[in-house]
Amino acid sequence: MNLLSAMLAEPPGFATWEKLLLLALILASAILFFRRFAPILNRILKSKKDPNFSLAPIGKRIWDFFWEVLCQAKVIRERPLPGLAHAFVFWGFCAFALVTLNHFAVGFGLGFLDPAGFFGRFYSWFAAIFAAACAIGIFGLFVRRFFVRPRWLGQKVSYESGIIAALIFILMVTYLGAFAVKSATPAAAALWWIHSLSILIFLPIIPHTKHLHLVLSPATIFLSRGGFSKIPPLVGDEDFGLVTGKDLTQLTSLQSYSCVECGRCTEHCPANNTGKELNPKEIILGLRGYLNEFGPSSEQNIIGKYNSIIADFQCTTCGACEYQCPVGIEHLPIIIGLRRGAVNTGAWEDEHGAKLFLALERGSNALGMPASDRDKFVQKQQFPIFDGSQEYCLWLGCMGGYDPKGREIVADFARVMNYLGTSYGVLRKEKCTGDPVRRLGNDLLFQQLAESNLENLAQNKAKKIVTICPHCVRTIQEDWKEFGTPPEIEHHSEFLARFVDKLPQSNKNDRVPQVPVLGPGNDERASFHDQQASGHDFSRADKAPIEDKALAPAPPNNKIVYHDPCYLGRYRDVYEQPRTVAALAGEVVEAPRSHQRSFCCGAGGGLVFLGEETGDRVSHTRANELIATGASTIGTACPFCNSMFRDALAEKGDAAPQLLDIAQLTARSLPTPNS
Amino acid sequence: MKIIVCIKQVPERDAQVRISGSGKWIEESDIQFAMNESDAYALEEALQLKEKHGGEVVVLSAGPERAGTTIREALAKGADRAIQVESDNLNTLDALGVAQLLASAAKQESPDLVLTGLQSDDLGYGQTGVIMAETMGLPHASLILNVEKTDSGITVKRELEEGWFQNIELPLPAVLMIQSGGTKLRYATLMGIKKAKTKELRKINASELGQSPAPAATLEKIAQPQKQKSTQIIPGSPKEAAATLVEKLKFEVRVI
Repeated sequence: MNLLSAMLAEPPGFATWEKLLLLALILASAILFFRRFAPILNRILKSKKDPNFSLAPIGKRIWDFFWEVLCQAKVIRERPLPGLAHAFVFWGFCAFALVTLNHFAVGFGLGFLDPAGFFGRFYSWFAAIFAAACAIGIFGLFVRRFFVRPRWLGQKVSYESGIIAALIFILMVTYLGAFAVKSATPAAAALWWIHSLSILIFLPIIPHTKHLHLVLSPATIFLSRGGFSKIPPLVGDEDFGLVTGKDLTQLTSLQSYSCVECGRCTEHCPANNTGKELNPKEIILGLRGYLNEFGPSSEQNIIGKYNSIIADFQCTTCGACEYQCPVGIEHLPIIIGLRRGAVNTGAWEDEHGAKLFLALERGSNALGMPASDRDKFVQKQQFPIFDGSQEYCLWLGCMGGYDPKGREIVADFARVMNYLGTSYGVLRKEKCTGDPVRRLGNDLLFQQLAESNLENLAQNKAKKIVTICPHCVRTIQEDWKEFGTPPEIEHHSEFLARFVDKLPQSNKNDRVPQVPVLGPGNDERASFHDQQASGHDFSRADKAPIEDKALAPAPPNNKIVYHDPCYLGRYRDVYEQPRTVAALAGEVVEAPRSHQRSFCCGAGGGLVFLGEETGDRVSHTRANELIATGASTIGTACPFCNSMFRDALAEKGDAAPQLLDIAQLTARSLPTPNS
Repeated sequence: MKIIVCIKQVPERDAQVRISGSGKWIEESDIQFAMNESDAYALEEALQLKEKHGGEVVVLSAGPERAGTTIREALAKGADRAIQVESDNLNTLDALGVAQLLASAAKQESPDLVLTGLQSDDLGYGQTGVIMAETMGLPHASLILNVEKTDSGITVKRELEEGWFQNIELPLPAVLMIQSGGTKLRYATLMGIKKAKTKELRKINASELGQSPAPAATLEKIAQPQKQKSTQIIPGSPKEAAATLVEKLKFEVRVI
């Protein structure tokens, strides 16, 4: 028999009692499903409405739905093999929608796809291809879960997943089997019944297992807040962040029930990878546990049985979890929401955290330095003061204004701007943008800092800002929007990349190498002794004073490994510009984890200001990875990353590669002023 | 235990101060103000005592309209209510005048304990608390790092010179001048600020207290300190540099 001439066999017509039995089974399955699903849906809908939620821009939502749900793009891109297996199962299900509808219709003698007709024949074969792919896919996933057992799936073996996999496999096999038997035979009837029962058993298992993502995740992806780490505004006098069940919004609840427990978030989490308590998956499942036990109108604190405050404050807000999540869970607004709840109510007690907050309550910068230190630096560098006539306002930020290495980066960037003939000026006064307090959840301080800065910038008529710090860029551009209209801002990598044709290339430059001269004193350093506002030692900078930090040209065959800062990459989608700039100074090589998968330096989320880490240091883990590339230079584009690596490299001694910001790499290729 | 904490609003630590036209005070229009540092520690000490032993913390401040923000900050951190003493001539008063105003306002409350900061970050007299105690006829102690309540009164830890400490007992009521750094300060929270909005802030005029304070000492003139230290880097080989150094020490600085 020609295989293609085979038709999908249909069972013999059913007697009335069989139809009644089928109806009863369908009803039982549906009732069981809804009895389990209704309370969940109820908890989601009874949660607080999301402030400022808008369906617009709808186009982006439709695109995300098409790309991430229908095409399974993210699922495949981030884990190709299991991703494809999953995609086959998903596409199999889609193709089966019509088949399944027809399958049950046949049971009642109402079948609408004629297996011998043109469309019915075509479609049953079309679905058969998907059925085969789906069967292979689910078998692969079964092997992965029960035999390969990647640790991200968790310690416990999920037997429900095994049952689900078996049911899906049976569904596909019984469907394909129906091509090998003749219609109206007992064999066809048996296959038909096994297929039906599998579906009816499958349905009630969905709501209380991770397979709920089948139902919810398309909605979760479609309804996501949009943007990256979009932190909702606090509304009214009683909103302090995620404190109790009453603070959980519909989107948060929906997301917590959508989690498919794949563990991609945990796999990429820098805290979890360095032996800390934080596990982003458990944060989400904790919310689900809380909702199941207490519900969305409970006044029970979320931090407690289902959430650890220690874990909440170990997050560097690198956003790898949110980027990776295939079902649209936005971890950052949740983790930051929990921090807001703890900090805004005073429940979080941390020596270093309190010092940081007090430093910003009383002073202007996160490093706890007197503002006059910045004035001295500005005077010494002879930076022009911004008066509205210059094109760019050069925003120094706390690191650029107070940290010795950050100052070097700013000074070098200013040299490049001078070389390019760009007009710029720095503000007379500047306060911290509020990035660390925003991420740590101190809304009071964040609002004060944002408003004060916005006013200052408006008074100075700043239209365009450029800065060396990706954290400043993000906070000014996105987070300040809650309190006003910030000026345009860009990161210096974006600025430099625009002028890449005008910048000299170091390998074409055959100047005599200039050896750095170690100067005598450095009066910048004197003021650092009273710097105690943080757990991180900002004073361990290169001890050479700025003007003597001779700009030695890059060595020949300079290999630069570029480290993507989280706040430039995942937060801003800037990956290529800094590489373009770094490529002027040598060959850019990649670390094993780069671009969207870049591994955090450990500084973000205000953590650079907190105390000693438990487990390994994130910065050391990343620095070792960068060193292992064999590059002679580590290229950075964020003064916080630079500071973290500076510490990590300090213990490597002479073997350590040199550490330079892309602005410094560029400045080194400039012709020396006296030549 | 009813505790009064006296708080002063002073120019922010980072403020770039300029001398005003009169030459008698600084230009206030373009600087920001904050809570006096040692007063913040006095407040913290009061809040910790209240948390341990119950009672009430009342903030008392003599200051112009703008001092309201600092008073609210104290309420946000956990004080129960506040009294603001107003007088037209506050900016010309000396420590005696201010202390008399504060003492008469404090007396009306019959507190168990009055805490002030050791001294203000702007004028730095360090006398207000002491004069208050004398005016109120209460025992007092200064340079306090820590206060413990006992059955008969309180035990306080004073910081002396060269790392020495002194523990003394005092009966209540008493007045204490609190030193910075004895404890850890708490940060202000959003919840605290919101709660502070509904807390009582009572304003009293000097005349209502039956006071017409006049300064016994008047401030004549303030001036920016002259830069005196200058660092010189002596060039040349070590031998030459050493010779130049000796010469300078001998003939310019005249120390050898």
